[in-house]
Amino acid sequence: MGGRSMRGRFRRLAAGLLALGVAAGAAGAPARAASVLRGRLNADILSTDPGTKRDENTDAVLLHVVEGLVAFREDASVGPMLAQSWDVSRDGLTYTFHLRRGVRFHNGAPMTAAEVVWSLDRYLDPKTHWRCLSEFDGHGQTRIVKVQALDPATVAIQLDKPSILFLKTLARADCGETAILSPASVSAKGAWIRPIGTGPFMFTTWRPNEYVELTRYRGYAALPGPRDGNAGGKHALVDKVRFLVIPDGSAAEGALLSGAIDVLDGVSPSNLADLRASRGVRLDAHSTMDIYALIFQTRDPVMRDARLRRALALAIDDIGLTRVVTQKTAQANSALVPTSSAFHVGVQAQVVRPDLAKARALVAASGYRGQPITLITNRRYPQMFDSAVLIQAMAKTIGVDIRIQALDWAAELDRYNHGAYQAMTFAYSARLDPSQNYGAVIGAKTSQPNKVWDDPFAKALLKASTATADVAQRQALFDQLHQRMLAQAPLVVLYNPSHVAAVRDGVVGFRTWSTVQQRLWDVSVR
Amino acid sequence: MAATRLPRMPRRAGALIGAVLVGALFLVMAVSLVWTPYDPLAIDLDATLAAPSAAHWLGTDEFGRDVLSRAMAGARVSALIAAGTVAGAIGLGAAIGLVAGFVRGWTDRLLMSVNDAVLAFPGVLLAIALMAAFGGGAGGLMLALGLAYLPAVIRVVRGAVLSVRESAYVEASRVMGNSELYSMVRHVLPNMVGPIAVLASSLFGWVILAESALSFLGLGVAPPAPTWGNMLASARPFFSQDPWLGIAPGLLIAATLLGVNLLGDALRDALDPKSGG
Amino acid sequence: MVGYLSKKLLLTLPTLLLVSAVVFVLIRLVPGDPAQVMLGDAADPSQLARLRHDLGLDQPIPVQFALWLGHALHGDLGRSISNGQPVLALVFQRFQVSAGIVLAAIVIATAVAVVAGLVAAWRQGGAVDLAIVSGATLLLSVPSFWLGLLLLLLFGVKLGWLPFVGYVPVTQNLWQGLAYLVLPVATLAITEAGVLTRMMRSSALDVMGLEYVTHARAKGLPESRVLLRHVLPNAFGPTWTLVGLVLGHLLGGIAVIETVFTLPGLGRLMVDSILARDYPVVQGCLLFTALVYVLVNLVVDLCYPIFDPRITAR
Repeated sequence: MGGRSMRGRFRRLAAGLLALGVAAGAAGAPARAASVLRGRLNADILSTDPGTKRDENTDAVLLHVVEGLVAFREDASVGPMLAQSWDVSRDGLTYTFHLRRGVRFHNGAPMTAAEVVWSLDRYLDPKTHWRCLSEFDGHGQTRIVKVQALDPATVAIQLDKPSILFLKTLARADCGETAILSPASVSAKGAWIRPIGTGPFMFTTWRPNEYVELTRYRGYAALPGPRDGNAGGKHALVDKVRFLVIPDGSAAEGALLSGAIDVLDGVSPSNLADLRASRGVRLDAHSTMDIYALIFQTRDPVMRDARLRRALALAIDDIGLTRVVTQKTAQANSALVPTSSAFHVGVQAQVVRPDLAKARALVAASGYRGQPITLITNRRYPQMFDSAVLIQAMAKTIGVDIRIQALDWAAELDRYNHGAYQAMTFAYSARLDPSQNYGAVIGAKTSQPNKVWDDPFAKALLKASTATADVAQRQALFDQLHQRMLAQAPLVVLYNPSHVAAVRDGVVGFRTWSTVQQRLWDVSVR
Repeated sequence: MAATRLPRMPRRAGALIGAVLVGALFLVMAVSLVWTPYDPLAIDLDATLAAPSAAHWLGTDEFGRDVLSRAMAGARVSALIAAGTVAGAIGLGAAIGLVAGFVRGWTDRLLMSVNDAVLAFPGVLLAIALMAAFGGGAGGLMLALGLAYLPAVIRVVRGAVLSVRESAYVEASRVMGNSELYSMVRHVLPNMVGPIAVLASSLFGWVILAESALSFLGLGVAPPAPTWGNMLASARPFFSQDPWLGIAPGLLIAATLLGVNLLGDALRDALDPKSGG
Repeated sequence: MVGYLSKKLLLTLPTLLLVSAVVFVLIRLVPGDPAQVMLGDAADPSQLARLRHDLGLDQPIPVQFALWLGHALHGDLGRSISNGQPVLALVFQRFQVSAGIVLAAIVIATAVAVVAGLVAAWRQGGAVDLAIVSGATLLLSVPSFWLGLLLLLLFGVKLGWLPFVGYVPVTQNLWQGLAYLVLPVATLAITEAGVLTRMMRSSALDVMGLEYVTHARAKGLPESRVLLRHVLPNAFGPTWTLVGLVLGHLLGGIAVIETVFTLPGLGRLMVDSILARDYPVVQGCLLFTALVYVLVNLVVDLCYPIFDPRITAR
């Protein structure tokens, strides 16, 4: 215990010094107008109450203001935020969080175990309408039995069954990072007023459908080290952050080029080339955890032959395809484990190379007789459409006749949910954990027609991967799943698409990361 | 109307240019059936967005496909869609228009009020809605465009029927005791050929334009078929850097429309009963 | 006059009703529903069912239509399913963008067409006439969106005079906003000037053959006076009718131009909302467009007597 508190003290000291340095830097600059960094929201925020009435915009804005016990790091693992460390009991049922000291809410009050218990109890009250309540009330992975303050700096959370996703779920942006709030955020009657959190910015102004403005919190206690996802050292480098509500994509691009905003997060692929050619603007891309893939209906009379599916996988030049359709913003990935995941190592990181001779041999062995195969795609996601066009041309080189059918996205989704297709270029949205990535594709088609990979053994491997928290053990299971997926080829993973932002020259430090949530901390503007 | 036309020489020149342009279109179509410089669908990921060169006269697109080959193949697809749509719309529209104009009474009134309701609706809009509904594909596109232009055809045909059926020889046929149906087939139909031909030529131009517009919006024909509209649509994101991608298909659309328009003008002049040669 | 107007308006009601009913049923028959689009691939059946219930999509279509119609009659077109904005405000806001461009373009195109058509008719058979007619026929044959792309390439990319991506509302910054509108307006004006010029020339030629023009010339009136006082007023009627048609056609086809110039107009709203199965917005857009179309034609009808003294309002 003693050792830990010593280390904690050092950390606090370091953090304090860093904060001082930043403050000194700002104070040392000549007197000038308040610096403002302007970002864009494609729709207004829905509320200021984290994790309740929310969408992606709401999450992104509020995560500048509030913080949870733990937060996502860049590699999709979970790191300390308001808790500097935690212990898990041997049975996996009790999590003991050791809080950071010296953290103060925006109203100056210290953050202690009492506020943590208050905040969690509030989320667990159905009247709060917390988005993630169903994960913790027994419907989902586990149930929080009790939240208890052991001392002013220690909180214990008791679960009814172990869950490897417990911390990740707490850290989820759509859960509002399970933010620790000051009880002053609500009125005496329990009605929401405004978020009084511990983040680097304070919530100051909300003009509905116009903008949201945040102000630098001078009393912010930053973690040491660099920014790391939503965790790590966070610093407000500008006096104010303003998120302008600009629904239309091209209007937002106009605003960026004319200087009305500094950062445009989420550039549409069709305007990449234009923006790249524009002066005074640079692009920043980072691969997301979404998955673009070619999926097959393994129950289809033609596609049921694994040799034909593997032949198609071997005909695809994934590296070339990814380079061309993403305009060099993303990297090829043959694994269901996203490139930004900590598990994306070893066999996972090997991209399948085309082997036309082997592919042709497999086609011959499969008894494929030139039947046309319909490949469904859509125009809403240009990269999916382009991938389909390239796959068609590549399949032709091994003598497989693919016909493209472009539906709109709504119709394609309908077909996906009913399993009514032969082949389809499809996008899986980001999942928290590789187990969930596999969970999205593995299942029995009779009960879940939207599942792609109906294989009992794979299902068993998947189940095993959720039963353990041991990293090495899980890695081995994922590697085994990956090899099996390549062999059976129920789907061909193509790449993880990138999230692209455009920033004006003069903006320093902005980086996109593996989520769609934009971060304007540790960003300055000249 | 005779006075509204240009002097004979330029008029002939216009008809000639029109014939040459349309003839060239058909030639390209015919050639593309047996030969294109490259396979219009073959990709080359190491030679994407290449500028025009000796190997690729019109350059390559974002997937390294030969633009010239695609433009040639596109002529075939675009023209076939236009021809199919026009044939369908004219066939069905002429039948309904003939019935409405000849039978008159309640049938006519009902048909025309439904027709007017559909006419009150911008055709392109209707096509957009239908294409979004039925998905891509040449068949769906022809159906959508055909339906969008049907009301106009019905209106024109019915108007022409009404004017022809009052003419002396139809009256005479009726007096001679021939049945309505016989009069219609024997006398009215042949007299409709002129106006329908003029209408068909304008319609052909409109459909080429509408097809390219819908494809441009991503609601047109899906690949493998390259159409001019598809080519323009995929050129849009790269237009500021690689403009040649959009030049060829646009020029081809414009040249085709010009040819069709000039021929249509010539046809109208030739068929105008008042022109007197 | 008032009687004529109200009768005309009453006659459009069945059309609008029919259009809304057809659209309402059609878009619901198409596979794919908004709940699925909103929840994406991670949706589970119970979530889908709950969202469908919240959106009122679990009721029979006739009931849904009756509810929608009832609200629509009170001027409430509902809210967008995908972003919660009120449909009427959304449609109106987008319509302003489209209408501004279309109106400016049509005014310019008409002005150009009147002058060019008159001059061509006046110099009939000469080199000027030939040039104008050829030019107009050429314009008739150029797809508007391709012309737009070419203009964008020239003025946006090569010369750098005008912005080539994005949009700034005029209300936010007048000059920047106007800079974004120059090319779309020019594109539409140029392409529509072709058809209008041909019409103006043809009707001016018809009028010039009439007796009173010959008479006016015989009286020794100067040519400019004959053209402006006698030919123009009498030849403008048919062109005016065509203006009405073109206007309706433009409103329907504006989506393409909005895509070329990345403008947030009504056309793109409609295409996007069809693709997102945002039923209330689709219905609002189509109803609104049909209504505008009907009104435009009515105004054109009513103005016709002004331009053609031979016809009085029925």
